[in-house]
Amino acid sequence: MALYTLDLGQVAAGIKSREFSAEEYIYQLLERIEKVELKVNAFVSVNKEALDKARVIDKKIRDGEQVGALAGVAVSIKDNICTKGIKTTCASKMLETFVPPYDATVVKRLYDAGAIVIGKTNLDEFAMGSTTEFSRHGTTRNPWDINMVPGGSSGGSAASVAALECTVSLGSDTGGSVRCPASFCSAVGLKPTYGLISRYGLVSYANSLEQIGPFGRTVSDVVSVLNAIAGADENDHTTAEGKPMYSLRERKGLRVGLVREFIEGAEPTVAKVVHKAVDTLAREGCRCEETSLASVQYALASYYTIATAEASSNLARYDNIRYGFDLSPEGYEWNSYFARVRSNFGEEVKRRVIVGSYVLSSGYYGKYYLKAQQVRSLLKRELKTLFEKYDVLIGPTMPILPFKIGEKIDDPLKMYLVDIDTVVANLAGMPAVSVPAGFADGLPVGLQIMADEFQEQTMLDAAYLFEQAAKVQRSPEL
Amino acid sequence: MVTKEEVKRLSWLARIELSEGELERYTLQIEEIVKYLDVLDTIPLEHVKPVVAKKKYADLRPDESSGFEGNALGTKYRKDGYVKGPRMV
Amino acid sequence: MDTKIGLEIHCQLTGVKSKLFCRCSCDYRGMIPNANTCPTCLGLPGTLPLLNQKAVEFAGMISLALGCKVPDEIAFYRKNYFYPDLPKNFQLTQYNAYGITSIGVEGRLEYGDADKSARIRRIQLEEDPGRLVYEGGSMETSVYALIDYNRAGVPLVEIVTEPDFADPKDVRLFLDKITSIIEHLGVCDTKLEGSVRCDANVSVGGGNRVEIKNVSSFSDVEKAVRYELTRQRTMASRDIEVRSETRHWDEARKVTKESRTKEEEQDYRYFPEPDVPAVVLESKFVSSLMQSMPELPDARKERFISKYGLSAHVAQVLIDNKEMADFFESAIKIYSSPKEIANWIVTDLLSFVDERRKELDQSLFAGLKIEPEHIADLAKLVDQDTINRATAKQILGQIVRTGEMPSQVAEKMQAGKIDDAGALAQAVESVFKAEQVAVQDAKRNPNAANFLLGKVMQLTKGRADPNAALEMIQTRLKEA
Repeated sequence: MALYTLDLGQVAAGIKSREFSAEEYIYQLLERIEKVELKVNAFVSVNKEALDKARVIDKKIRDGEQVGALAGVAVSIKDNICTKGIKTTCASKMLETFVPPYDATVVKRLYDAGAIVIGKTNLDEFAMGSTTEFSRHGTTRNPWDINMVPGGSSGGSAASVAALECTVSLGSDTGGSVRCPASFCSAVGLKPTYGLISRYGLVSYANSLEQIGPFGRTVSDVVSVLNAIAGADENDHTTAEGKPMYSLRERKGLRVGLVREFIEGAEPTVAKVVHKAVDTLAREGCRCEETSLASVQYALASYYTIATAEASSNLARYDNIRYGFDLSPEGYEWNSYFARVRSNFGEEVKRRVIVGSYVLSSGYYGKYYLKAQQVRSLLKRELKTLFEKYDVLIGPTMPILPFKIGEKIDDPLKMYLVDIDTVVANLAGMPAVSVPAGFADGLPVGLQIMADEFQEQTMLDAAYLFEQAAKVQRSPEL
Repeated sequence: MVTKEEVKRLSWLARIELSEGELERYTLQIEEIVKYLDVLDTIPLEHVKPVVAKKKYADLRPDESSGFEGNALGTKYRKDGYVKGPRMV
Repeated sequence: MDTKIGLEIHCQLTGVKSKLFCRCSCDYRGMIPNANTCPTCLGLPGTLPLLNQKAVEFAGMISLALGCKVPDEIAFYRKNYFYPDLPKNFQLTQYNAYGITSIGVEGRLEYGDADKSARIRRIQLEEDPGRLVYEGGSMETSVYALIDYNRAGVPLVEIVTEPDFADPKDVRLFLDKITSIIEHLGVCDTKLEGSVRCDANVSVGGGNRVEIKNVSSFSDVEKAVRYELTRQRTMASRDIEVRSETRHWDEARKVTKESRTKEEEQDYRYFPEPDVPAVVLESKFVSSLMQSMPELPDARKERFISKYGLSAHVAQVLIDNKEMADFFESAIKIYSSPKEIANWIVTDLLSFVDERRKELDQSLFAGLKIEPEHIADLAKLVDQDTINRATAKQILGQIVRTGEMPSQVAEKMQAGKIDDAGALAQAVESVFKAEQVAVQDAKRNPNAANFLLGKVMQLTKGRADPNAALEMIQTRLKEA
């Protein structure tokens, strides 16, 4: 039996009931990784100890000990989330030799649930990008067409799930970095409400916008991971109180708003798939109608102002003094040393740090940063008003289909424009999930479903309803 | 107008050494990006207050101290416990 | 000439247990370099700041003590600049340019003999950076810098005044008052090395402002300001323009020097720290602090006057040094005679202070073997007429060196006053026998009795009670 094709529920049940061993399952995954990695390049590093960890789980079960809900399940972790004792590079030279002395809270909670980290996945350097092309470890390729980008910045996470190299994955979403690759790879990718999941251990890029988010091949898998990792954390003062639990529910009569600005901004091939999805929802008893979110036109400017500003400050710490790569400070004057080592950032990172320094510099605070924060307020207000009328808002996750590797890499602004549908949720701090909606020209299209803050259950209700009705293929032949 | 001089000043502010080629390339790209961000100026925002995250005083961290087990410094350039850094002048 | 001096005082909250944003200890002095660190204060990727509640409480107390308004909400900003002692290459601090976020604003503190006051512009909470040390001791010649992050993240309260000072002496008086207040509050132990630092901004005649940094002790601030004023006035008298700059105080040579490192116009790119939500201080924050706060020096002085009947002058001297005030209160707990005890401390004990040891140990009574019990005992002996004042002074002089209890010494000296009428009568008899001429004199002239009294005192080696003796002499004179 191809254990690597199972979803989380089946894996956890099978291991617990001893239908198969965790060791066998992990072994198959490692084999699978070896088979497809040359084509996909989803991983920065594979965990050599995964098999040992599997054996420990098996023994615990044999001995009748208590094991967690995710016992034995293989998770891949985006390489900007700290794993104790396992190299965490953010796909950057600046963290080439960095081995965190601590685990991110989400990693610790996964371990507590019995999950096994099978490897660290590829990303755009420091999570800045939408295609995973800005990585030192080469770009990850879309498992559906290896000449196409997998999306980003959590491209490795999405691809590893789609390519059956692991069962679920954790990524991070600052402006769409979980939902975009989920859409491009036909996976389920969720960005929670800001503050639902602890950021302790997530290497900061834009800390007022980002959240860690799970990937899975099914809505059910994403729910299982969410239940293991969500909830207040004393190590992150921006987390909300409480420990919510989510479930799969039947929900009738959901009020669905299709955001005009999103659908009208999409390519016709993409729009067609989304319209079909709306029909599916209507057939399932949802009340769908078109609606408008006028402030979308300002969203990208607001996002890139705040994100670059925060990035320029969050990345200031990389001066190679306390951690980094091996370059002796002797012989240098400190300003030169700093400027020299930091020239090792990739292009996109350098650009964003400079733009960020610009928007924050003396005299510009009111013109850019303050205004961008006000736009967030405006967006949130508008969304709250819409959520009085609708349970969820939908649209295409991405305005375009996955494109060729290298196509947009020389035009930064063009690249930024693909985030138009996703940044809104980050700016408002509200949850959004991308579920596979279908294919166009053989390439995946994702449907984005948004809900009001802390209304993940409603959002998941809609996602589950759609998934069960649409039955879109989740993994390609590789 | 974002000039080459401006980008040079900003790269110094950010302590990032840029090659002449990078300086040329980035100046054009950054000029474009900043022009796009200027749309923020066109929005009527007089009565909009930024959203601010809040926390109650009672929920702040209690004042207890504990040490960190393990080595948090990841550099081999040390002397008698100090971290070696580049010279100051 | 229009002199303007403003101060920026930094005081470490040595009274809290953990750092401002992480759980590392604040008690870093004497530790091996970098032994007192964790991923958070080292700025490791992925770490997040966790604001210390007690630090906010202490900063709030300082704000109230200096008469400041405490806002309903406080927030933190990032001050972005690069420096090897700054783990994140930004400092978490507070900033009021876009709205009040700091813990205290618009305060006022009276100082000196309460005839002077200075306005407090703002009070803010921020983190201390690490420390740079140089191989061979000199920044210029050292091949590499050595960095110790033990101190990084320790909470600092910065007190910024308006330029309300015109005289360096006033600066000193003000700083003494600040010291007294923070010690009374128990938030900062000013005796610890580096726990208080002060920068000064100086300008004369409406000219440019010069900032003086690197003054490592409050006592040097007065000297530094005085030097800088002289420098600026001299330049002004020669029509040379004073440049707006930062100068460093050279402790060894006692001069201000141009800054070595060109401190260019710094663009700090302040913005609010996203990882620290704004802290909502409920209305009971201020009211409960006011109630639970330790007594401030001025309030203590008032209490000394109203409750113990001390004079304003004596009360002031006591509170000028918390150690003295504490000593006084401990002593009166043992034996309640406030005026007597206060006088002993303020008049007599102070004269025995060892200035050298005081500087060395940063303690008023250093080197003196004296405790509140001693003074209490002494006062009791005097009050109960067991010894007279002159003897008491003698005893004090002895016990500051030996640490013996006054009653012990008194017994040894047999310095108990001769109360026993019999012994006194004997002494008077002896004198009457020996000074018959004087006795006749005294019969005629009452004032001459004093001569006889003197003789009785001489005979009894000063141990007699003069009043009782005089009474006895007068009675005896009438009889004869």
